[in-house]
Amino acid sequence: MAEEIKQPRIGVFVCHCGTNIAGTIDVEAVKDYAATLPNVAVADHYQYMCSTPGQQMIQDAIKEHDLTGVVVAACTPRLHEPTFRTATKEGGLNPFRFEMANIRDQNSWVHMHDAEGATEKAKDAVRIAVAKASLLEDLYPKSVPVEHAAMVVGAGVGGIQAALDLANAGIKTYLIEKSPTVGGRMSQLDKTFPTLDCSQCILTPKMVDVGRHPNIELHTYTEVEAVDGYIGNFEITLRKKARGVMSQDEATAKGIVGGGCNGCGDCEAVCPVIKPNPFELGMAPRKAIYIYHPQVVPLVYTVDFDSCVKCGLCVEACGDKKAIDLEMEDTFETVKVGSVILATGYEIFPVEKKREWGYKQFDNVITSLEFERLICASGPTGGHLVRPSDGETPMKVAFLLCAGSRDNTGVGKPYCSRFCCMYSLKHAHQVMEKIPGCQPYIFYMDIRSFGKMYEEFYYRIQNEGAKFIRGRVANILEDPKTKNLHVYAEDTLLGRPVDIEVDMAVLAAAIQPAADTDHVRHLFGVSCSQDGWLLEAHPKLNPCGTTTAGIFLAGVCQGPKDIPDTVAQAEGAASAASIPIHMGKVDLEPYFAQCIEEKCAGCGMCVNQCPYSALDLIEKDGRTVMHVTEAKCKGCGTCGGFCPGGAIYMQHFTTPQIVAQIDAFLLGGEE
Amino acid sequence: MAKGYNDPAMEEKFQDRYFHATTETNPEFIKEIERLGRTHAHMCFQCGTCTGSCPSAPRSSYRIRKFMRRAVLGLEKEALTDPDLWLCTTCYSCADRCPRDIAPTDVIMAMRNLAFKEDIVPRNFLKTIQLIYKTGHGVPNNDANRAARLKLGLEAEPETTHKYPEFIPGIQKILDHYDMKETADRILSEGEQ
Amino acid sequence: MHEYAFFLGCIAPNRYPGCEAAAIRTSRNVGIELLPLKGASCCPAPGAFGAVDLRVWYAMAARNICLAEEMGKDITLICNGCYKSIYEVNERLKEDDELRDEANEVLAEIDMEFKGSVDVYHLAELYYDPKVCGVEKIRESVVRPLDGTKIAVHYGCHLLKPLKERRFTNSENPMWIEELVDALGAEAVQYRNKMQCCGAGGGVRGFDLAHSLDITNEKMINIAEAGADALTEVCPFCQLQFDRGQVEIKDKFGIEWGLPVLHYNELLGLAQGMSPQELALDLHAIDCKPFLDKIL
Repeated sequence: MAEEIKQPRIGVFVCHCGTNIAGTIDVEAVKDYAATLPNVAVADHYQYMCSTPGQQMIQDAIKEHDLTGVVVAACTPRLHEPTFRTATKEGGLNPFRFEMANIRDQNSWVHMHDAEGATEKAKDAVRIAVAKASLLEDLYPKSVPVEHAAMVVGAGVGGIQAALDLANAGIKTYLIEKSPTVGGRMSQLDKTFPTLDCSQCILTPKMVDVGRHPNIELHTYTEVEAVDGYIGNFEITLRKKARGVMSQDEATAKGIVGGGCNGCGDCEAVCPVIKPNPFELGMAPRKAIYIYHPQVVPLVYTVDFDSCVKCGLCVEACGDKKAIDLEMEDTFETVKVGSVILATGYEIFPVEKKREWGYKQFDNVITSLEFERLICASGPTGGHLVRPSDGETPMKVAFLLCAGSRDNTGVGKPYCSRFCCMYSLKHAHQVMEKIPGCQPYIFYMDIRSFGKMYEEFYYRIQNEGAKFIRGRVANILEDPKTKNLHVYAEDTLLGRPVDIEVDMAVLAAAIQPAADTDHVRHLFGVSCSQDGWLLEAHPKLNPCGTTTAGIFLAGVCQGPKDIPDTVAQAEGAASAASIPIHMGKVDLEPYFAQCIEEKCAGCGMCVNQCPYSALDLIEKDGRTVMHVTEAKCKGCGTCGGFCPGGAIYMQHFTTPQIVAQIDAFLLGGEE
Repeated sequence: MAKGYNDPAMEEKFQDRYFHATTETNPEFIKEIERLGRTHAHMCFQCGTCTGSCPSAPRSSYRIRKFMRRAVLGLEKEALTDPDLWLCTTCYSCADRCPRDIAPTDVIMAMRNLAFKEDIVPRNFLKTIQLIYKTGHGVPNNDANRAARLKLGLEAEPETTHKYPEFIPGIQKILDHYDMKETADRILSEGEQ
Repeated sequence: MHEYAFFLGCIAPNRYPGCEAAAIRTSRNVGIELLPLKGASCCPAPGAFGAVDLRVWYAMAARNICLAEEMGKDITLICNGCYKSIYEVNERLKEDDELRDEANEVLAEIDMEFKGSVDVYHLAELYYDPKVCGVEKIRESVVRPLDGTKIAVHYGCHLLKPLKERRFTNSENPMWIEELVDALGAEAVQYRNKMQCCGAGGGVRGFDLAHSLDITNEKMINIAEAGADALTEVCPFCQLQFDRGQVEIKDKFGIEWGLPVLHYNELLGLAQGMSPQELALDLHAIDCKPFLDKIL
């Protein structure tokens, strides 16, 4: 550090933020106070420091007063640190010679009714920032190359769309799906609102596309095992679960000419084991060797080793194709990608927990997803909606909205699941269309038909004859003889209790994050909100990003969304995820730990402490010393705080800088 | 469903107030209302703009929204026997403001027509029928008015059925076509018994 | 001269004959000739008759329209209730074959047929229409300006509503009658909830007088707040409710307003120089003298 030691000269700029700050804090007093602080060469204030004239003030002051550091007392660094760093740089200083004092989010907004106290607190914050700014040093971000590949985890419609966008942008994309086929929830749906087009019909072209796209490497029946690395250079280990069946490519690779699964189904025909098909929510059977449905991608059978009795009949039936290997084991593969999109989706809340509606207690109470399969022509009943109790066609059907959503009991979910209103309207339409004379009753608190053409759809369904009863269903009772259901509620618009006898009740069950979401998010270092949905970097301004650089979100894993919103977010995430890849390199903030080698004893205790595996021991000049892989270091400071020899130097958060801040606060500016 | 209590007052007090959707509803009710009222009442989504616009609502229990609800659900008896049905001033503010472009006033008018078929009608309406049948006017001339007319230089009788009573039989023929007079007389005399 | 068949209705000729007399004379002064529509009956009252049997309402109103069709003249009238019946039935029967056939089936019994050959106008509408009269012509007809008077305007419901069945474009805050009032030299004053109903319609006056008067009283409170010297309207039934209603309000609720209520034609008559006697203002339940003192 051969640079000339210069007496620090700090410029302090206090922002009004309109009335956000100036409405509470006496900014003039804070500015005047700042001018009295040691090392402060200039102090000023302005309406909006983030505006062009505000930034110009900083640039001009740097030159005019030959500043060594800049302090802006304003909002949060999360919002405007990049802005002011740029201004500092444009003024001719190293951008890391900027320090921000948060006097809005952590001061004026929370102390709105204590102007005097807030002003004093702002003075403290400015004093502390000046103390640090006086000791700031020039730092240079490290640039690392980015792997020209991406990964999408989850192959529902969101993951499919994200993968297609990335692949079409020329990026090699690994699409990972834990189940044997792509398609996700959307492939289980019969029709989609408000257009009423067939869900499979509009999804299968995309499913086929991901199966054959030259830039997409599709891994079904595969899970993420481990994640290492950082933006630009993730190393991800995949567990390819033992499928028991080889694809044609896999067979070819093993030298079995013309072999591998061609989806003929001969194996399934001879398999003696019958199990419920989870794709049909258990309402249809499958064998121990199975595909979910005829349109699966890839068209490769899967052996359910939990139920397979290894009788070998399937192997015989497969014959020369030699596709089936009942001794197959899980395999592992590690791939390198520059960025990752998580699209892990959702599952239905176990609505039987809300006991008052009798799901899994009364035969004729079903969930909306079961309804989808029952009304679907390719479903277990060939599209004939029937009562589970007796196979009869229902002529009166109750639809219960908010079945577990908007529920603060701790049993259900506090949030709105967002698409139940619309699909329930669609269901009402479907029963009226398929069963002439069938009367749907929709029990609702609000009809949330907010999307494009959604309100019009609501109008249409009401016009078709659906009866809407504004009231949340209190409970359902079953007539033990007929298995009919009595639905109890209040018609709040009529002001009367309601007891409507129906043949079937459909629960628009709340949704929740898919079972593995928590496991996956821990692998990728992504936070979640209180309700378990993955947390976006900013709910409005960065809804596809996460706080972990290089990890993006698409679809319902981030929060309830319908198909249009899921696809839109997937395209947004794909765009965001492609930016570092197309840039070819990313800048890392230079908050790296540095080893002061002459003090390092090479004990290696820090290596075990590092949560990011950024540290290791190396031999240097005949000594064992610690070495930092800067690209992996997040600057968390764990090692620096721990090192018994004081041999670790945390850039931008050095011990002298932090001590100065503490002193400034405790001593109140007194030397 | 009767409970078989021996005290009719108790039977009445504890009558089943559940809405059962089928037993007490008439699916033809909404169709009749839409035919007579020439408005698509079944599209009501119960926003309450009608009641909010209604001059009778703030001074009574009359809620036009509630009548709309009864129309949609087919609660014919509940609607037609509610005396609030006759508190609509037919100002049509609700019709002008309804976001679903329904004319709630015309739903009320249709319900009143249906009530009349059940002999449910306030006496003042019947008296107007009788007056028109007799004179052609709902508010006929009187001697004080005749004198005032003459003072104004008008004829004592206006140029209506009053001056040309030969038109009255034609009017009576129209009213008789719909048995209006007969019905009005009958209901009024029954009320007097 | 624009000639119209003059549909009288009931309340104007039989309770406020000054309205009838004024209409004939004032309209002649602005180039409109009102011809007697001989043998017309009650419109019939839309609330009272429409409520019991809409079929009768259609047939009876159609009969009145047929009388004008036989004259070959468009209809004009001075009552909002009549306007609803005659205008709406005329329009509906013109456009709805089924309704027309049903009405004609009945009319055939008395050798009449609805043809749909005439149009229906409120006289106030004609006054405002520059193709027929217009505000300027009204202003020019004034010989005794109503200077220094403040007048509140009540449009009445059936003139403008339901709006989609009317020629008008604004039922929430129209100002055209105010223009007609201002043309007389008076100042039309705005008041709270101007478009509220008078309370009389739909048979409510007959069914529950106190209820209907409570609505009227609310209007009186709002009009008094604006400091009006008089209230004007274009509907004798509203006039009856406001004028006689004030007596009934005093009787039932013990509140005395003393607000003169004049049909726009009566007001126009005064401005055109007619005397209170020629307008039979003495038949009004509320003494018009305080208002007259300001202009005579």
